[in-house]
Amino acid sequence: MSVHPVALLLHGFVDATARLGLDYRFVLSDYELEPFLQGALTTVEIAFLTIVCSLAAGLVLLSMCRSRHRLLALVARGFIELTRNTPTLIQLYCAFLVLNMLITQALQGSGIENPLKPFVWVVLVLSLHKGAFHAEALRAGLDAVPKLTLEGAASLGFDRRTLLWRIQLPLALRFALPALTNNMVELVKASAIASAIAVGDITYASIMIWTQRDNVLELMILILLFFGALTLSVHIAGRWIEQRLRIPGYGHQ
Amino acid sequence: MRTSVPVFPAIDFTLNLIDRGRRLASLGVAVMLACTAAMQTAHADATLDHIKQSGALNVGIIVDGGHFGSLDPATQQPLGFNVDLAAELARRLGVKLNVVSVQPSTRVQFLQQGKADILIANMEYTAERGAILDYVPTPYYRVGGVAIVPRDSPIHTWEDLRGKPVCLSQGSSYTRPLIEQYGAVPKGFRGASESLLALRGHNCVAAVHDAAPLLYPLLRENAEWRDYRAIGPELIPAPSVIWTRKGEHDTVATLDPIVRDWHRTGWLIQVEAKNGVAPPSPALLALHQQFEKASP
Repeated sequence: MSVHPVALLLHGFVDATARLGLDYRFVLSDYELEPFLQGALTTVEIAFLTIVCSLAAGLVLLSMCRSRHRLLALVARGFIELTRNTPTLIQLYCAFLVLNMLITQALQGSGIENPLKPFVWVVLVLSLHKGAFHAEALRAGLDAVPKLTLEGAASLGFDRRTLLWRIQLPLALRFALPALTNNMVELVKASAIASAIAVGDITYASIMIWTQRDNVLELMILILLFFGALTLSVHIAGRWIEQRLRIPGYGHQ
Repeated sequence: MRTSVPVFPAIDFTLNLIDRGRRLASLGVAVMLACTAAMQTAHADATLDHIKQSGALNVGIIVDGGHFGSLDPATQQPLGFNVDLAAELARRLGVKLNVVSVQPSTRVQFLQQGKADILIANMEYTAERGAILDYVPTPYYRVGGVAIVPRDSPIHTWEDLRGKPVCLSQGSSYTRPLIEQYGAVPKGFRGASESLLALRGHNCVAAVHDAAPLLYPLLRENAEWRDYRAIGPELIPAPSVIWTRKGEHDTVATLDPIVRDWHRTGWLIQVEAKNGVAPPSPALLALHQQFEKASP
């Protein structure tokens, strides 16, 4: 009988950890290992999508805040304050369990199936939530752009929009980068709330395993390492971009 | 003596880590933790000592509404079938009852961390659970799972669930049979209420939960669920037992005669009726008849 090298490796891992008193036998069961690996992938997907979408949301919120239409600015500010000051989990429950149900019921009347899956709700809620924080970080960046630079640009005949997009925002982005990276790290960690509405992320997969096997500690260690690696890569990426966009002679190296 | 500091979840979690850290002794990091835990290692039966010394019995009960455990809207005091059982146990032990509200997904951790001395949480006996915890061998109830589906759903038997998403609670014992016997795709939520809301939001074709404690009363008494129906027969009907931490033999030996006495006198049937649990469990009647013959 031939033994697959991966299977051999897994058995070795289970035996080695068993000697430390850890129960990792779940990796030998396809019925548990597969959702776990799938969960790791799902977490990466959620993290990636929310990083992109939250940045977009942050930019939209910021430009609304800076808009000359008072009402638009007011709506954006209200939204930012609301999302920043309520727990993400509650927002997710409200969106998924209440809003989603109402949408489903409304669509049912016209015989259409609700296209919004739990995964979409997680990405949406997390993006909007962190978008509010991005908007605040970017606002701080915008305010840090020296007045003289703006006056200089205005004297060259830039209109408000061009000024914002070509001068203010590129500079603001550089000032805001450390805070944005920080938000991104938070965002990656916050993705664990997906488990609350049965989106099969790594946390959900782990809960489903440990409620059957009672190997909480073992799975916690895995989740810890996984999120550690994920946030570390976000952090490294953030630092790399900071280095790339560094303004020579501005701030310290 | 085992100490428990039920202050913050973080502390409880750390205590749990310390407890389990004993097994990690060979990992350098855990050595210190392991020593701490070793100093606190329990002797023969720490739970019974703890109950007697503190004068209080901490019982983990699911207080999620319904006839088995809910809050009295007027007094905010827990009431229900399981609460009555816990109160009677405390009375017989001559101590004060302290109800610890638990969730299906974390109730085992509550017990293991010492936040609850025993669980009366409609937790059915399974071999996996029996391997990690001890339990009072005489069951106090028998609970199986049923599925509820919208009245106009094409699903009529368990087999119809194959390949379809089914809402349930994280930690539910119906997860495995649903996957293995019926090929359903379980979607686990934090608790039954989230799962049921998700069913209403059409995120699943059915929700599977305990029949007598939850779904039967829901369908019978709640107007919002009038358009839903149950699918039987009950999935893996299993005895509900009182759970203790592993190795608490004295506690088990103390509680088992009490539960037998409940069956012998028919007290459980009265409590069931008093709390409005319907239909009356045939298992309770059978147990009553079985123990009535036995000498007290």
